[in-house]
Amino acid sequence: MDKKLLSMLVCPECKGKLKYDREAQELLCTFDGLAYPIQDGVPVMLEGEARKMSEEEKLEKAKAVKSAE
Amino acid sequence: MSDNKTTHFGYETVSVDEKAGKVADVFHSVAAKYDVMNDLMSFGVHRLWKRITIDMSGARPGNQILDLAGGTGDLTRKFSRIVGPQGKVVLADINSSMLNVGRDRLTDQGYVGNIEYVQANAECLPFEDNSFDVITMAFGLRNVTDKDKALRSMARVLKPGGRLLILEFSKPTNPVMSKAYDLYSFSALPFMGKLVANDSESYKYLAESIRMHPDQETLKGMMEEAGLVRCSYNNMTSGVVALHRGIKP
Repeated sequence: MDKKLLSMLVCPECKGKLKYDREAQELLCTFDGLAYPIQDGVPVMLEGEARKMSEEEKLEKAKAVKSAE
Repeated sequence: MSDNKTTHFGYETVSVDEKAGKVADVFHSVAAKYDVMNDLMSFGVHRLWKRITIDMSGARPGNQILDLAGGTGDLTRKFSRIVGPQGKVVLADINSSMLNVGRDRLTDQGYVGNIEYVQANAECLPFEDNSFDVITMAFGLRNVTDKDKALRSMARVLKPGGRLLILEFSKPTNPVMSKAYDLYSFSALPFMGKLVANDSESYKYLAESIRMHPDQETLKGMMEEAGLVRCSYNNMTSGVVALHRGIKP
């Protein structure tokens, strides 16, 4: 994922910042609890294609975001 | 989400929730033959329409450009040259088949480095406010379910002073042209679609969706409503297509 592109991308629903999960190849919106897949390097920024995170995962990932900042 | 609202899919009336899926099917079906069909159907003139769009965009080296519904990458290729290594072109399309054809083609031709690819819906663009110097949408707005919402979304992600250019089929200004065009598009287009892409339904949709699209003045008004200023348009090929422009204040 290109750094410049990553800095431009936001959640299409809430326009909030996204966290890049390199291992899972997903862009995470911890506010909406949506994980947008990156397929062959192309971020798929469609709500209908996003994985819904569980409440626990949302909290866990939100914490991880905070500690990373 | 789901309600009883309806919209157009060509001449059919479909529920708002259905339209995106039906449009997606059309483009999954035609992606591989999209470029050859464009050349055939427009006698190659679509290249000229796109060239004029690039020229009127005022794109400069270092610019950030969004080629929306960029499909197979015709505009992105030229923008990539103009913006150079300091600039960036984001090719966005809602349809994965179109995006894959575009990416493979541009990569094969050596266009890499300043092009990024994003699968996105024009109605809710996944970009920060004030991100782009230029946004182009060539032959894409017609297929969007909520066009007003899409125009507002585009205005949001433009930088102040940034320019939106919409290239789209429009209403022919000359009655003789209009008659010939009707005859051509309702008989010849589906036939060519059947012959080349083995899909006459998709090209029937094309002809119908063009007739349902807002005319020049209506679209100009919609752009103003979305918050853009100095909106204007130029007819090309007697209004068969029109290039609309607007600026974010």
